[in-house]
Amino acid sequence: MNAIRFLPSDGLPALLSCLVKTGRRILAPVEKPAVKSSVVFEPWSEGKPLTLQKATVPAKEAVLPQCETLLSYRQTKNADTAALNLDDTPNAQPTVVFGARPCDACGYAVLDRPFLQGPFVDPYYRARREQLVVFTTTCGSGCATCFCHWLGGGPSSPEGSDVLMTEIEGGLVLQSVTDKGAELLNSMPPAAKLADGAPVFRQAEEARKKAWASLLPAPDIKSARQAIAGIFSDANFWQEQTDRCLSCGACTYFCPTCYCFNITDEGDGYEGGQGGRRLRSWDNCMSSQFTREASGHNPRTDKALRMRNRVSHKYSFYPENWGAASCSGCGRCVCNCPVYLDIRAIVLAAIKHAGDK
Amino acid sequence: MRIGVFICHCGSNIGGTVDCAKVAEKAALFPDVVYATDPMYTCAEPGQATIESAIAEYRLDGIVVASCSPRMHEPTFRRTVERAGLNRYMLEMANIREHVSWIGKDVESNTNKAAELVAIAVAKLRGNTPLHSKSFEVNKRVLVIGGGVAGIQAALDCADGDIPVVLVEREATIGGKMAKLDKTFPTVDCSACIVGPKMVDVAQHPLIALYALSEVEEISGYVGNFTVKIRKRAPYVDWDKCTGCGACSVKCPSKKTPDAFNEFTGVTTAIKVAFPQAIPKKAVITAAHCRQMSRGKCGVCAKVCPTGAVNYDMEDVIVTEEVGSIVAATGYDLMDWTVYKEYGAGRYPDVITSLQYERLLSGSGPTCGHIRRPSDGREPRIIVFIQCVGSRDRSIGRPQCSGFCCMYTAKQAVLTKDHLPESQSYVFYMDIRAPGKMYDEFTRRAVEEYGVEYVRGRVSCVYPDGKGAYSVMGVDTLLGRPVEITADLIVLAVGIEGSRGAGELAEKLRISYDNCGFFMESHVKLKPVETNTIGVFLAGVCQGARDIPASVAQGSATAAKVLGLFARDRLENDPQIACVDMRRCVACGKCVRCCPFGAIEEVSVRDEQKAHVIETVCQGCGLCAATCPQGAVQLAHSTDNQILAEVNTLCRY
Amino acid sequence: MPVLEGKELRIVGFLCNWCSYGGADAAGVGRAVQPTDLRIIRVPCSGRVDPIFIVKALLNGADGVLVSGCHPRDCHYSAGNFYARRRLEVLKQFLPVLGIDEARFEYTWVGASEAQLWQHVVTTFTNRVHALGKAPRFDAVEPLLKIADMALTALRPLGTGKNAALPKLKEAIKAKLPELECVIGWQQGYDEARTVPLFARTPQDVDKFVWGPFNVNNPAVYLPTFRGKKVGIVVKGCDARSVVELLQENLISREDVILFAMPCEGTLDMARIGEKLGRYTTVDAVVCDEASITITADGKEHRFCMADFAQGKCYGCATPLAALSDVSFGAPVDVKPVSATPPELALLDSLSLPERMSFWRGQMGKCLRCYACRNACPMCVCRDYCVSDSRDPHWMSQLADEREKLFFQTVHAFHLAGRCTGCGECQRACPVGIPILALRQQIGRVIEQLFESYKAGTDPAAAPPLLTYMPQEKNIHERGWK
Repeated sequence: MNAIRFLPSDGLPALLSCLVKTGRRILAPVEKPAVKSSVVFEPWSEGKPLTLQKATVPAKEAVLPQCETLLSYRQTKNADTAALNLDDTPNAQPTVVFGARPCDACGYAVLDRPFLQGPFVDPYYRARREQLVVFTTTCGSGCATCFCHWLGGGPSSPEGSDVLMTEIEGGLVLQSVTDKGAELLNSMPPAAKLADGAPVFRQAEEARKKAWASLLPAPDIKSARQAIAGIFSDANFWQEQTDRCLSCGACTYFCPTCYCFNITDEGDGYEGGQGGRRLRSWDNCMSSQFTREASGHNPRTDKALRMRNRVSHKYSFYPENWGAASCSGCGRCVCNCPVYLDIRAIVLAAIKHAGDK
Repeated sequence: MRIGVFICHCGSNIGGTVDCAKVAEKAALFPDVVYATDPMYTCAEPGQATIESAIAEYRLDGIVVASCSPRMHEPTFRRTVERAGLNRYMLEMANIREHVSWIGKDVESNTNKAAELVAIAVAKLRGNTPLHSKSFEVNKRVLVIGGGVAGIQAALDCADGDIPVVLVEREATIGGKMAKLDKTFPTVDCSACIVGPKMVDVAQHPLIALYALSEVEEISGYVGNFTVKIRKRAPYVDWDKCTGCGACSVKCPSKKTPDAFNEFTGVTTAIKVAFPQAIPKKAVITAAHCRQMSRGKCGVCAKVCPTGAVNYDMEDVIVTEEVGSIVAATGYDLMDWTVYKEYGAGRYPDVITSLQYERLLSGSGPTCGHIRRPSDGREPRIIVFIQCVGSRDRSIGRPQCSGFCCMYTAKQAVLTKDHLPESQSYVFYMDIRAPGKMYDEFTRRAVEEYGVEYVRGRVSCVYPDGKGAYSVMGVDTLLGRPVEITADLIVLAVGIEGSRGAGELAEKLRISYDNCGFFMESHVKLKPVETNTIGVFLAGVCQGARDIPASVAQGSATAAKVLGLFARDRLENDPQIACVDMRRCVACGKCVRCCPFGAIEEVSVRDEQKAHVIETVCQGCGLCAATCPQGAVQLAHSTDNQILAEVNTLCRY
Repeated sequence: MPVLEGKELRIVGFLCNWCSYGGADAAGVGRAVQPTDLRIIRVPCSGRVDPIFIVKALLNGADGVLVSGCHPRDCHYSAGNFYARRRLEVLKQFLPVLGIDEARFEYTWVGASEAQLWQHVVTTFTNRVHALGKAPRFDAVEPLLKIADMALTALRPLGTGKNAALPKLKEAIKAKLPELECVIGWQQGYDEARTVPLFARTPQDVDKFVWGPFNVNNPAVYLPTFRGKKVGIVVKGCDARSVVELLQENLISREDVILFAMPCEGTLDMARIGEKLGRYTTVDAVVCDEASITITADGKEHRFCMADFAQGKCYGCATPLAALSDVSFGAPVDVKPVSATPPELALLDSLSLPERMSFWRGQMGKCLRCYACRNACPMCVCRDYCVSDSRDPHWMSQLADEREKLFFQTVHAFHLAGRCTGCGECQRACPVGIPILALRQQIGRVIEQLFESYKAGTDPAAAPPLLTYMPQEKNIHERGWK
C-alpha cells in the first residue's frame, strides 16, 4: 500500500484536528520561548501553535516516557482482612508523533530491537509502540552537529517513520512508508484538506536531493565497532577523551536511542497513605549511580569508564547484538552538552587510535 | 513492621472532646498498623499492661501512644515497651491532649486532628530503629576557672569531697574582687580577713593544683573527658624559687608602674607581689614597665633576689590537664564607665569608681586607708555617690540591675563617716534594692545613724566649679526640684559586665552568653548552675549580678553538681544523636563549623577526610543534619526521611 | 491526608522540643482555645528544620507552615535557633520568587512558659492563612512563558579581548607546566564559534589555548576532582570567585592551585548567539574587532556587538580580573559595583505571585532532569551523592512532575545559599533554556540584603553567612504577632 498526498501550507491545523478525531493523541513540536528557546513535543489540541523545526528534545517520550507508573497498589484493610489490589495496566493510548525528524524516527527503530525483538518483550513499550504512527518531516539541510549520514541515515531516511513529509513550495508532500501510515492517510476525510500528492511528488524528491547535497562528506566509520572494542581497556584514551565531561546526563536524556531506565518504588502516601507505585524512569550511564552496587562498590569508578560505556554501547555492543549502531546521528548529545563533548570526535579518535596501535 | 496504636481516653480529658474509638478505628488502617485500641488510662497500670500484652500477643515491634504530651509520659512508656522486650526507642507519641482535646471543643475537628497526629506518629515510627546508649568512663577531676570567692568555694568544696581540682586564675593572685574590698556589707567586717583564710586553704589543700597568672587556651572533649590547655603566662620570676620576701620590689627603680590591684589609684614597682596576702605569694614583673625588659639595662631585682628566682627570658608555658567537669567562675569587670561623659568619667580625677574608692578605704590600699582625693591628696568633705551608672540604663543598652551597688554604696557611705566624721555623703539613687538578710536594716542605718543624704533622682551633669571642687547637678524626683551639690569627690557605682574575655571563654566552653558577657544557665529557675554543655557549671557573677553570699552559695552548688556527676564511674549518652554516612561525606566541614558542641571532627578514613560524630559529645540538636547538603549527616530518630514521612503524610495532593 | 473540607486548611508546624512544644503544652494545660488546623511536628531544635522541609510542604499542599523555637539566646543547644533564624529568614524572603506568598510561612520564638503567646501565635497565624485562603496548587496553574529582557548597560566597556596577552599566558603556563598535573583553560570547540574546556598536559596542548568572549565555561568546576593534585587554572574574574569559594569551603587547598588571571572583557551569551545563528551547517569565519564579533555561517554574516550580546553577569561585573591569582596578565580595572537586579530576576520581579507560579510551571515542564545545571555548577560538590536521586534521604521521587523538578531547583538554590557566586553556569548549561539562575539570584539578593552585602567568593577567610550567626542580627528583626 502506498499513499502520496499534498497538504497546502494552511492545511496543517485541519489535518491535525482530523487526526485528533481518530481518537489519537497528537504529539507535535511546540516552540517554548525563552532567552534560549527550545522545541519540545507536546500534546496538540485545537488552536495550539506548532512548529516543524527540529525539536530540542526528541519524541522518545511517545514510547518511553521520562517516568511511567509500571504498577500501582492499594491496600484495603478492615478489622479482619487485609488485601492488596495491584494495577499494572500499561499507560498507553493511540498516538501520532507529528513532525519528528528522520533521526528521531530512526530512534524508534533502535528502541524496538531490545524492547520488542529480544528474548523479553516489554509490555509497556509494546502497548505504546503498537499504537504509534510517526509522521516525519524530512530535513532541508544538515546542521553543524548532526551526522545521520555517517550511520546510513539521511535527511529523508524512512527508517522508523510511517509517513514522510517534505516541505515544498506551497505546502507539504506526505508520503506513506508503511501500511500503517498509508492506512491512516487513506482514512483521512476531505476535511483534512489532503489532496493527491502524485503531481507534486517530483518537487519533493528534488527537495530531498537538495538536502542530501547540502551535507558535508561523511567519513568512513565502518571500522568503529572493532576499533572501539579493541581499545576497550586503553584507560588513557578514554581518560583523555573525557577530561571535560561534567558527568551530567544531557547526552543520554536528549538521545533518541538511549533507553536505559531505573525502577523505583514509592511506598507511602500515594492514594491516601494506603498504597504505592512502582515507577520506571530514565536513567543514564553517565551517572555514577548507574552501576553503583548495593554494597557501595562501583565497578565504573570514573567518568572515563562511563563515557567508554556510552560510546561502546552505541558503536560496539549494540551493533554486536543487533547489527546496527544505536545512534541515529541526530547530534543532540553534542549541541546540548554543556561542554560540547563530541561523540563524532571520540569515534574518529578511536578509529585513528586503534589504527595507530 | 508491626505497629500497635493506643489511643488514650485519659478519662474524659481526651475522651470528652475526641472520639477515641473512631481514631483507633482509623488508625487500624494506617500502614503497618496491626492493632489499635483505645484504653481509658494508658499511663495507669492496667493501661501499661494492655500495651505489654498487646506487644506480646500481636508480636508488635513498635507502638504509638496517643495521649498527653511526650514531655510528660515519654519516659513512662519507654519503660513500658522496654519491659515488654522492645527497644525503648521503638515508641512514638501523638499529643492529643495538650495539643487537641484541651484546646478545642469541636469533636469532629478534634477527632480528625487526633487521627492525623496518629498518622504522622505512625509514619515517623516506621523509620525508627532500636538505639543503644554508649557508656564511657569519667575522669574524676574538675577544672575551676576563676579564683574569686565563688571559684574558691567551688574548689574547696570539691577538694573536700576528695575530687582533685585544677584552679586557673588569670591574675597573679586568687581572691578576685573580694580581695580588693575593704569591708563587706551588711556586717562591715573586714573583707580580707574572711576571704584570706579561704585563700590560704586553697594554697594548702593537697588536692588543689593552682595555676595563677594562667588562662584557659583551649578546651576539647566532653563531659567526663575534657582536655584543657592552659597557658601559664610568664611571671619572669621562677615561682619555685621565689619566697615572696619582697626584697626585689623594695629595690626596683621603676616605681611609677600603674597599680592594677589598686584599680590604678596609685603606682607601684615593676616587680612585686600583688598584695601582702596574695596567694600564691610570688613576685611578678610587669614587663612593659621593667627597665631591664623594656630597655635592657637595670637587672637590679635579679641581683638582689636571695634565691636567684628572677628570669627575664621566661616564656609562656602551655600545660594540658585532663578533667571530667568544669566550673566557670570568672566573675565580672566594670563596664566602660567613660561613656558617661556628663559625669566627667575618666576625665576628672576626683570622679572615681566605687571599686577605686574601695581601695582608697582599704588599709592595704595606696593611701593606707586614708581617704584622699586623687587630684590633690586633700581629704574630701562632701562626697557624692551616684548609683546606676551603667545599670538600668536602656540608653546605653544596659537594662539590667547590677544587683549589689545599692548595698556597697550604703556601706561606703557608712565607712566614709567612720573615716571622716566631718564629712557629708549624698547618694543619688533610682530605687534602693536591699532584699537580703539584714540588708534593708543596713541601708536604714546609713540614713538614720550615719546621716547619709539619699536623693532620689539622676544626676544630669558634673563639672568642676573652678575652685577645686565639682558641681553636681541633679534632680530630686521626690521633691520635684533641682538639686545642686558642691562635692569634693564623686563616686560612681559603675555597672558590671561579664569579665574581660568572657565571650571567648564561653565559645571555648560551648555555652551561650548574653550581650553583657554573662554566661547563660541551662534553665533560669530550675537549672541555675548548669549550662547547656553537660559537665560545665557556673558559679558567681559570671552568670549574672549577685553578692558574696549568693556567689559562695553558688560555688557550693556547683561543687554539689560536680560531686553528684562524679558519684558514678561511667556515664551513658543519649543515643538520639547524629551519625555520618561516610560514603556521602565530602568533608566540606560545614557540619564541623556549625556544631554548637564541637561534636564533629574530621578524621582520616582510608586517606580521605571524613566528618565523624563524637558520640559522647553530640547532644542531638540536628543542626548538622539540616546543614549537610548531601544528607550525609542524619540524626537518629529525626532523620530527613522521618521528617519527610511526617510532612508527606500531611501534605500530599 | 485530605483536610476537613470547608472547615480547616492544611497548616504544618515544626516546633522545637524544648521551648515551643512546651509552650504549646502549657497552652493546652491552660485550656487556651486555639484553631484546630495546626499539625505539629516535633523536632529537637528549630536548627533541625532544614528550610527545604518547608518548601516541600508548601509545594505539596500545605496552606501554611509555622516554625517555632526557643527565643534567641534561650536555645537548649545554645545556638541552634541562631542558625535557624538566618536560614528561615532567607527562606521567607525567597518564597515569593516561586510564587508562594511569604505570609504562608512564618517563624517565631515561643518559650515553654508562654502559653498565652502560643495561643496568640496559633490564632493569628491560622487566621492569616484563612484570610489568604487555600494555597494555589502548583500543578493546577496554567503554564506561562515569558522572556527576560536582556537589554542591559555594562558598568565598563565590553570588548573581545583581542589584544589580551595570550602569548604571554601560554609562555607562563609552559613555564609552570612541569610542576602541574595539567592547566585548565579553553580551546576551540566543534567550530570556531564555540570553545570548550582544555586540559593542557603538554606544551603542544598549551598552544591550543584560546582567549576571547567565547570562553564561557567556568573551569573552576573541575578543581575539586583534582583534589590532592597540583593543577593550574586560567580564570576570568568570575571564575576566580568560584575558586575563592571552593577555598573558603575547604574543598581545595590553595597550595594545590596555580591561578593564571586574565583580564576579561566580557563573554558572549551563547544562547542568544545561537538564536540568531539559527540552523547552520558550517561556520566559515569568525572575525573580531575591538567591540564586536562577526560570525559567517553558511555564507551569511552575523555581527554581534559585545555590548548587546554579553552574558547577563558580564554587564554588572565589577571584577573582570581575578583578585586572587598567582600569575596575572592585567591591571585591576577600577569598576564601581552597582547593585542592579539581574535580568532574569527582574523578569520574575515584574510578575505577580500567581504569574510566577505559572511561569515556573511552564519552565519546569521542559526539564528532563539531565542535571546539567547541577553538574556545571562549581559549587555543587555532593556530585555522586546528590539528594536528587538518593533514597536515604529520600527528598524527591523520580516522578516526571513539574513540582518535583522545581523542588529540586529549590533544593539546589538553597544548598547554594551564601555560596553561589552567580557564575550562571547552571542556566547556561540547561539545554532547554530554563532560567534557573533567577532562583539563585533571588537567594543571593536576600543574602546580600540581610548580611551586609555579603558576596560569595570574594574573601577566602570569610564565614559563609548561613554557617555562622550573630546573637543580635542587624537586619533580621522579630516580627510582632499583632
